[in-house]
Formats: sequence, C-alpha cells, structure tokens
Amino acid sequence: MKSVHALGTALALLLLPACSGVGGGGSGFGISNYTLIRARETRVGTGSLRVTPPREWNRQRGQLFVDIREVEDWTQNGPLLDGISFVTGLKSGDTLVRQTRRDDRQVPKFRSNMTAPEITAMLESLFRVRGGTVDFKTLGLAPRPFLGQAGFQFDYEHLDSDEVWRRGRAVGATVDGRLYLILLDAARAHYYDATLPDFEAITASARKVR
Amino acid sequence: MSALDRRTLLAAGGVLAAASATGVASARILPSAMVPLIGPGYRPVDADERGMWQQMTRVEEEVAGSNLVVQDPALASYMQGLIAKVGGPAAKDFRIYLVRIPDFNAVMFPTGFAVIFTGLLLRMRNEAQLTGVIAHEAAHFLRKHQIRQYRDTRTKSDIFAMLAMGAGIAGGAAGVNTGDLTQLGQLGTILSLLRYNRVLEAEADAMGVRLLAGAGYDPRAMAETWQQLIAEEKLSAKYRRKKRRRDISLFGTHPTPESRMADLRISAAEVTRPGVFYDARRASYLAAIGKLRPTLLDDQVKLNDPGASQYIVNNLAQDGWNGLLRFHEGEIWRLRNRAGDDVRAAQGYASAVLYPDAPADAWRWHGIMLSKAGRRVEARAALSRYLAMAPNAPDAAFVRQMLVS
Repeated sequence: MKSVHALGTALALLLLPACSGVGGGGSGFGISNYTLIRARETRVGTGSLRVTPPREWNRQRGQLFVDIREVEDWTQNGPLLDGISFVTGLKSGDTLVRQTRRDDRQVPKFRSNMTAPEITAMLESLFRVRGGTVDFKTLGLAPRPFLGQAGFQFDYEHLDSDEVWRRGRAVGATVDGRLYLILLDAARAHYYDATLPDFEAITASARKVR
Repeated sequence: MSALDRRTLLAAGGVLAAASATGVASARILPSAMVPLIGPGYRPVDADERGMWQQMTRVEEEVAGSNLVVQDPALASYMQGLIAKVGGPAAKDFRIYLVRIPDFNAVMFPTGFAVIFTGLLLRMRNEAQLTGVIAHEAAHFLRKHQIRQYRDTRTKSDIFAMLAMGAGIAGGAAGVNTGDLTQLGQLGTILSLLRYNRVLEAEADAMGVRLLAGAGYDPRAMAETWQQLIAEEKLSAKYRRKKRRRDISLFGTHPTPESRMADLRISAAEVTRPGVFYDARRASYLAAIGKLRPTLLDDQVKLNDPGASQYIVNNLAQDGWNGLLRFHEGEIWRLRNRAGDDVRAAQGYASAVLYPDAPADAWRWHGIMLSKAGRRVEARAALSRYLAMAPNAPDAAFVRQMLVS
C-alpha cells in the first residue's frame, strides 16, 4: 500500500541504495521497481479487478514484508508525489499492509460487516500508523455506486511528518464480503488535481471479473 | 537530547543490566547543588560553542517555519509563561515551539529553544506536570549540558550529529531514519537523535525539581510523570502480549525509569518545605489546553495502540470521567477490533452520550453501532442527533443516506 508510502518508501530507498532505483528505476540487477502500464484494460491486484487507465502509468513492485497481494500501487511521478492504490478483494480479518501481531501501533483489521465510516476510519489509521500522518481531515463521505454495489466516496487530506500536505480520494465497496477500493493519494499542491481525472476514468472503468 | 522520551525510556533497561553487572552505581544528585551556570542573556564565548550556536540558530529558523508547529498564539504564550516561571536567570531567553507529533517528547536545544510534542500535552494531567517537564528542559540549558556533554565525551560524534541535524532540517533531506521511528518522520527523528548522558539527565531532574518547587508547584509532579510513562508502556506491551520493551543498546545512557522516578521522589521530598501550599494548577491547565484536548486524544487513539491509549484515557479520567473520555474509550475498542470489541465499543459510545459534553462524533458512532445491532429506531434517533449537532459534517451526506435506508 504505497499511499502510506511516502515516508516508508523514502526510507527504503535510503536504507537499500544498492537495490533501489531512484528515478532511474534500475536496481543493478536488471530488475526495475516499476513496470509500465499501458493505456488499455489491465488486471490489478489479485487479478479480480480490471481497469482501463486513460494514459500510461507505472506499477510499483510490492515490497516484501510490507505489501499484500490484494493491493497494487501505481504512480505517475513517484510515490512521494502521487499514487493510485487498488485493493482487490481484501478478506474479512485481514489488514491492508503486513504487520506483526506485536506491533504497538497497528492498522485495524477489515471486517466484512464494516460500514463506510468504519472502512474510512481504517484508512485514516493506516495513514497515521504507517504513513507518518500527523494531521488528518475528512473532507467528505458520500454514497457512490462502485462495481454495481452501494459504495462510498471518501475525500480527505493529511499533513505528514515530512511536512507535506497530501490529498486523497477513495472509492470503494464491499462485494461478497470482500473490500474493493481504489484510492488516489497525491501532494495537495498540483499533483492531486493533475491525477484526479485519471483516477476518475480508472474508477469508472473498473469491473470485477471473478 | 531528548530528555523525556517514551521510547528512550525503554532503552534504559539494558543499561541497568550493564550497570549492575559492572557495579557502577550512580548516586543521586542533590537539588541544592544545582545552581545555574549561566546568567541572563547568555551568549557563547568559545569558538566551539559559538559554532554550535550558529548551526542551532539555523535549526530554530527551520523549526519555527515548519507547518508541524501548532499555530495557537494563546497556547504559545501560556507555555512561554510557564518556562518564564521555571527558567531561573534565563527566564526571558527561552522560546517554546509546540509541534504536532503524537508522542511523548520534549527537547531543549543548546541555544535555549525548546520543542514540545503535542503527545506530551495530552499526557499531562495538570500544569504542575507540564511545568515539571519544562523545568527539566530548562535545567539542561541552565547547566550548559550541550557543550559540557560535547567536551566531556571528547569525541566529535555528538557535535557532528547536531551539525548533521542542522543540515538535515535545513536541506529538507530525508534525514537519518531507522525502523521504529518512521512515523515521526524527519523532524521527530532528528529531535530524538541526540541524548544526554545519565549524569546530565540526573542533574536536570534534580534541578528541575528545585525550579518547580521554587515556582510554587508540587515538586512530586515530576515523579508522577515518570510513573505515568512507565505504566503506559507496561499496558501498551501487555495488550500486544509482550514484555515492556528492553532494547539493549550500548549507546542508551539514560538512567532507568524506575531509578529516576525513585530519585525524583526523594528530591521532591527534599525541596518540599512544610507549611507551604503547593498547587497542581489543573484548572489553568485545562483552560489553556482544553480546546485542543479532543484533537490530542484523536491523534493518539487513532494510532491504534490500545494499551497506551487506554492508560492515557484512564489516567486523565482520574480527574473525572466525561463524554469526551468515554467516547475515546469506545474508539479504542472499535479500532482494536478483536472478537467482542464491537460490543465494548458500543458500550463506550452508549455511555459517552449520557454525558452533556458528549462530542457529536459520539452520537454518530452510537448510531452506527445501534444500526449494526439492528436497533433501527434508536439508531435513527442517534444519527439525527449527530446531524443536528454537526449539520455541516463532512460525512453528512452519507449519514443522511443511512437515515433513509
């Protein structure tokens, strides 16, 4: 989940200079941390969701011990500036990122009987626990159909401890007891507005395949 | 440099073991021996200290301009007033910055500016406790700890750490960061990079107690603060089914929290004069931070560290339960989200709304929980109450839809 990215990823890049490609995307082993996503229908996450981006995006390779297979992250200008995350069928009792049972601060578990306010509160804690967010403001929560279900749209902004304000929008629904969600999170200055049309097009194109 | 820090507190466990193995015992420092080493308007004379001041001036500019600093002029002047009370000869020279980081930490920089985290304000029950921390930090400055530590160790590592810190903040670079501290990000991490050795910490404790009593506060407040921190750590660890953290670190040089607390208690008794009335000044503390407390609680509880949050809520509730604290009790269980926690959360919200000061959010969550339990009529009443209290709430559209369906 790279929307919690900002600091975590910056950190990973610092600590592992040998196997991280900043900007260039090279790892030294001929393996890139990014894969090109073409502007055509693409399977994301576990493959249970298909979306069609209006232009090319970059898929980030999941981080071992951090990311789960139900979550896939895309970026346009790098995870510190913008990112779209797809949650593709998170099971009841699971969390959006890997964590150990003994972490003091934990991202709450998803439960299939959660209402939208509970799901969005879970997202807020994700940012606070894993993203270095110190101030989080809900800008709006409204009903919005998603994947043919009664879903929700969640708008928010947050100040992170790298002193950058970021803004986001999440559109999601629980389908057959599993969480499906697409989330845009980007620097509030410029990048959010610049990627919102793509997010909307991607969200509108989303269809569940299994 | 971080004198009272929730995480460093734990690093001390290993030091205790090391100290007892080698038979090194540190004697308590007497408050009466702690006289200020500087006068009003102190400026450095020696070249090394002047260099340090130059760097720190730059750091202060960056801190002052950070958008993590809480912009609340009334609160800022309140805290400025507190440090003036316990600042001894340098009373008028200190500056305090309150930053929005939900951890227990306070830092005094070599040039006399202090950074206090909002997580510290949350944990203080009264003005005496907060002033105790501030007095401890002031003592670091009054005893010239930064430059003494640098010269004592005779290595440049500390000063290099400080210079790197200056560069880190100024450059806005990612800074130096290690696993556990990721959530603090740059500023927080940088602030916790520097530490004093145990003698200097003990000096600051002893002098802090003296300054606190001298300003008319109950000097036992400092030992209370330690006791609260230790208890919070214990409960946090217990809820995650582990022992209190004992990161064995060769570099951790803080006295153990327990021995520090014991010394603080003895020192407090020593400076207490019979017949003098010492006040905790809870009312003035609440008047100053009361408006911020909902935000402070929110920042902590949403970290989903249920043991720590529950300790904090219960500790504040020693001064009386209210709707705000009951609401957050419900929030702690809802976020912990283990089997049965939904029932506990629902009970928390249900009791919160019985208090006249229950926040609007308590009504919202009360309504959501009732709705999930199938109690539709009561749920509608609670959600309607929420909308009446917060008609412009950002989630009003969603709640209205819940009412319709």
